[in-house]
Amino acid sequence: MTPNGWVQIAVFFALLLLAAKPMGLYMARVYERQKTPLDPVLGPVERLLYRVTGVNPDAEMRWTEYGAAMLIFSLATLLLTYALERLQYVIPLWNPQHLAAVEPYLAWNTAASFTTNTNWQAYVPEQTMSYLTQMAGLATHNFWSAATGMALAIAFIRGIARRESKTLGNFWVDLTRGTLWVLLPICIVYALALVSQGAIQNLKPYDTATLLEPQTVTAPGPDGKPVTTRVTTQTIAQGPLASQEAIKMLGTNGGGFMNANSAHPFENPTPLTNMLQMLSIFLIPAGLCITLGKMTGSPGHGWAVFAAMSVLWFAGVATCYWAEAQPNPLLHGVNQRVATAGPGQSLSPGGNMEGKEVRFGIADSALFATVTTDASCGAVNAMHDSFMPLGGMVPLANIMMGEIIFGGVGAGMYGMLIFVILSVFIAGLMVGRTPEYLGKKVQAYEVQLSMLYVLIFPLIILGFAAVSVLLPAGLAGISNHGPHGLSQVLYAYTSAAGNNGSAFAGINANTHWYNSTLGITMLAGRFLMIVPMLAVAGNLATKKIVPPSLGTFPVNSTLFTVLLVSVILIVGALTFFPALSLGPILEHLLLRAGMSF
Amino acid sequence: MSDLVFLAASFAFFFVAVLYVYGCQSLKGGGNA
Repeated sequence: MTPNGWVQIAVFFALLLLAAKPMGLYMARVYERQKTPLDPVLGPVERLLYRVTGVNPDAEMRWTEYGAAMLIFSLATLLLTYALERLQYVIPLWNPQHLAAVEPYLAWNTAASFTTNTNWQAYVPEQTMSYLTQMAGLATHNFWSAATGMALAIAFIRGIARRESKTLGNFWVDLTRGTLWVLLPICIVYALALVSQGAIQNLKPYDTATLLEPQTVTAPGPDGKPVTTRVTTQTIAQGPLASQEAIKMLGTNGGGFMNANSAHPFENPTPLTNMLQMLSIFLIPAGLCITLGKMTGSPGHGWAVFAAMSVLWFAGVATCYWAEAQPNPLLHGVNQRVATAGPGQSLSPGGNMEGKEVRFGIADSALFATVTTDASCGAVNAMHDSFMPLGGMVPLANIMMGEIIFGGVGAGMYGMLIFVILSVFIAGLMVGRTPEYLGKKVQAYEVQLSMLYVLIFPLIILGFAAVSVLLPAGLAGISNHGPHGLSQVLYAYTSAAGNNGSAFAGINANTHWYNSTLGITMLAGRFLMIVPMLAVAGNLATKKIVPPSLGTFPVNSTLFTVLLVSVILIVGALTFFPALSLGPILEHLLLRAGMSF
Repeated sequence: MSDLVFLAASFAFFFVAVLYVYGCQSLKGGGNA
């Protein structure tokens, strides 16, 4: 670990701290339909959209109506993306490479993936998706799924803030305002900033470059026998990349335009864009903490939640950076036998550089991996599969905790609020009083549904992972044996259920088994968790406000932050520790004993 | 054929999700205020 690395991590957090408050207050104004500087431009667009679609913006929805509208919208957009993928070869628009129709299993997996804000990619984008599919099918989903998540978080906050109300707002209005006032304006500026740094934005056919040094490549031929060819040219993929990159990060989507994702120089050209990308992942989730404080009239509570998220983020990045800064012990052993490396010299000075982009190095790779899995982003600038076992465990554990450490746009906030309810409930049990949360009594119904929310997540992850490591179809995709292979499978289902989308890159998930089961996992991990969350919000909204008393547990205190962090760690640790023990922890111990997989 | 299967699967999932909404609502009534 170096001082330079720590300074970069500190600068990242300082910038996040500076940006969170203005962002959060702005979002509160947007969703409370108060005046903003963008109203003269966006107001007429919003009114036109409502007129065309027949939406009455003043109609309020009960939680069931809000949930049903969200489900119908998600189904419609899923089917639209599926159709685009299947028909891209017959649509004479923006397909200069004449890419074929996407295979049905992969098309459905991808449609489910982008609908749920997961952006799991079991394909090589530049070889599979036309520009039209990338723009109209995938980039639009990046906006819709992010705006849906934000709308749901706002609905939950309204449930806490409102008194004796049967409604949580209007889904269509929240979806529209989040897209028009928050996502679009930031993305326009953001995309231009990326272009200024070297990100590309065009609709050209792919370029072909002549190699300065032709390569001889040997690969298995169609009959399995090795075939040697001389490669003299390289295809350089093009496309409307900057516009997709902006919402990919801001909306915590994570699906890359290129297969190498944010390690590709067209997607993430400079250290400045790398810092911008990490900040934009956390911008809205951090801002939503302030929005929570503003809309509930308890700014201190918003900051207490922000503090809990920050503590967990720091624990993750410190662990990951420490783990990756260690040289691989097996390479250290090689040093003793390599004549060119003298005694004490390391083949991996500074730490583990395997799978990392040298432009970013270890500190920024560890920080990026932590940030992208704290949130439900899933973009990567380094390959998590190549991290040291404990370094790779950090992204895995972050997702397993429910991605509530800032989390996905909206999803992180409502997930964290479920843990807040459980924390308040536990605090109430400790003192023997009916728990209250910002004046609302937390009763059996809220706790039952919160536990349903918490239990669905490990059920689908551990269930599908267990079946996959027993079936030949599941084992076929694993590229490493032993605990590392288990980590690959576990990571895939965790990433899918958490709607993260990053991968332990070693697994081949483009199979019928993984495409179908991961698709189901993504849908279940999104919608089967949203429904109980909305039910909690809807029930909280109907309640009266109870005046605070001596027995009320203050939710804006340091004690609350400590309790919240503890509950998250205990729930996460108790649920997933056995699986982690068999995966990355065992791999770490075996690596120290000289074994690799 | 595969397209129809995935179309049906998508509708089926979301239909179950809508039922789940009403299932969660029906949980209420277990003694809550």
